[in-house]
Amino acid sequence: MENRWEMLESSNEDREKLWKKNRTFAGDVWFRFRHKPTAIAGFVIIVLLLLFALAGPYFTKYSYSAQNLELVNIPPRMKVYEAPDGTGYMYITQSLKVVWVNKDGTLGGQLKKVREESESSMTIFDCNGTEVALYYGVKPYMMADPETRVLYPTRHVFNKSYTLGTDSLGRDILTRLMYGTRVSLMVAFVAVLVNLVIGIIFGGISGYAGGTVDTIMMRIVDIISTIPLTLYVILIMVVLGTGLKSIIVALGTVYWVDMARVVRGQVLSLREQEFVLAAKTIGSSTKSILVQHLIPNAMGSILVTVTMLIPSAIFMEAFLGFLGIGLQPPLASLGTMCNDATENLRSCPYQLFIPALVICLIMFAFNFVGDGLRDALDPKLKK
Amino acid sequence: MVRYFAKRLGLMLIALFLIILVTFVIMHAVPGGPFTSDRNLSEEVEAALNAKYHLDDPLPKQFFDYLKGLLHGDFGPSYKFTGKTVNDFIANGFPVSGKLGGITIIFVVLASIPMGILAAVKNGKWQDMVVMAVATIGVTIPSFVIASMLIYIFSFRMGALPSFGLDSWKGYILPVITLGGYSVSYLARQMRSSLLEVMGQDYIRTARAKGLAEPKVIFKHALRNALIPVITVLGPTVANLLTGSFVVEKIFAVPGLGVHFVNSVSMRDYTTIMGVTVFYATFLLAMVFIVDVFYCLIDPRIKYD
Repeated sequence: MENRWEMLESSNEDREKLWKKNRTFAGDVWFRFRHKPTAIAGFVIIVLLLLFALAGPYFTKYSYSAQNLELVNIPPRMKVYEAPDGTGYMYITQSLKVVWVNKDGTLGGQLKKVREESESSMTIFDCNGTEVALYYGVKPYMMADPETRVLYPTRHVFNKSYTLGTDSLGRDILTRLMYGTRVSLMVAFVAVLVNLVIGIIFGGISGYAGGTVDTIMMRIVDIISTIPLTLYVILIMVVLGTGLKSIIVALGTVYWVDMARVVRGQVLSLREQEFVLAAKTIGSSTKSILVQHLIPNAMGSILVTVTMLIPSAIFMEAFLGFLGIGLQPPLASLGTMCNDATENLRSCPYQLFIPALVICLIMFAFNFVGDGLRDALDPKLKK
Repeated sequence: MVRYFAKRLGLMLIALFLIILVTFVIMHAVPGGPFTSDRNLSEEVEAALNAKYHLDDPLPKQFFDYLKGLLHGDFGPSYKFTGKTVNDFIANGFPVSGKLGGITIIFVVLASIPMGILAAVKNGKWQDMVVMAVATIGVTIPSFVIASMLIYIFSFRMGALPSFGLDSWKGYILPVITLGGYSVSYLARQMRSSLLEVMGQDYIRTARAKGLAEPKVIFKHALRNALIPVITVLGPTVANLLTGSFVVEKIFAVPGLGVHFVNSVSMRDYTTIMGVTVFYATFLLAMVFIVDVFYCLIDPRIKYD
């Protein structure tokens, strides 16, 4: 076609051709989803978090439960004093011990205590043969030469042994964070899967059967939804005992109510449509109508409900962990890590901020993806 | 309308009965009796204890006795604290939680509605962006994270507010913000979208066409109608405040009912768990019912069949 504006013969087939590429429904959804920066950002964050949680533990040399009581409450970024011989640094822990820090930021062991000079508020440690003094008369504590009382020069170095520091039992926070994220995501996915099954079956039957069955089933849902689910999750946890399985069972048995409502509403409106009538006319069974026609058509809203359920399940797990009735130590979850950290929030705020940040990231990511998905699947719903 | 409320009330009572039944069954499904976890008791002692608390009766009889007690406002004795009854815990804890919750509700209403109005009136401008950003943060970040950050900033860093206790009015500030954070954000969003919807209606255009001043259009014509959906959400908000108080009471060391509940869960004090659950559920159902009545009174358009 050299001349784009040339008149075509009426027999020319190009006349009728659709030049624009036809987009499928999935393509349409993807197009709308892709053009929402928050949704894409959320999606990327979820993928990164999954990688972090699943692959991360293979790249760390620590285990989530191994304690190192010599290196307790070491922050990610330390204020250190230069050693008198210049071969490394010294870091003062909160329990008034001195930890050796190598030049590259990796941690050595604790320095050996030589003696206590309580009248001058000093503790003398042995640093490679020279005596150094820890002066604890005023806060913040300082390291000085015991003879001249001259402070050693200070500087800040990053903790290279434990990138995110250690907790109050000397466990690596980065490793615990990986396992905690893994637990949170696993709880969320499994609980949501259980919800999906119960909710779809319950809502599907209720919506399709209609009449008295529907009324009774919806009354049950009404009654369940009048009680705060938190209470019932806690009750179920009491019966089953604490642990990962109990959390999943508790969340799965209680959280399906929203899903059942959504599925029922969808099925109720879809079953009156012509294609269901057509399916009935050709003699399809109830089961195949439900499974092949109604559920796939309701999939959009189901998917949106799922992405909204995931953050609330994660929140619930963190909530239980924080109250101390979730996972039991030494297992880590984001909630229990926050709970452990509140005890020494004043001195080690990083122990709280790191898992809290991850929880917020997860919540934001899933909320954004849910929003994006809702707008993409059904632009009419857009607020 | 009376018929509708009678029906709602009936449904509420059925719900309450089922809640009590389910709670009772769950608590008795726990393997072992309430005294098995203690030191090994001799059989006679255990039998005596069981007889004292009527645990040797058949289960249906126990259930109806419990129900009878509840009707008289008797939640039964605590198994873990001898000499204390569940009523004592509720009588001690609930006024504290209730006061905190009441102040929080006032805070939620006073903060969220102006926020929502501002966002809707300044739709698309920076005020809207700020309100929506705050609301999104409030909905997504868990309350215990918010609480810990607030404590760290305002108590530890600035030293301006106490980090625990409710001794002075200052002590209430952080717990109320933490407890109400989620609800404020949620209600503000609700208020905004509802007001935006109303502002697009024909009668608002008419009001403007008449030459009414903009504040009058908003507060007299739009807001009244926009408030209706917001009031519906108040019922669930009470529920949120109730369970939210578990965390807040724990963090801020408030001696309320929530802390008692969580403690009784970790101590496995079954009657307390059961009693407090039933108490919470009753309270909540009553609140939802009141909101419903209120809802019906302010919107005469709603017809109930």
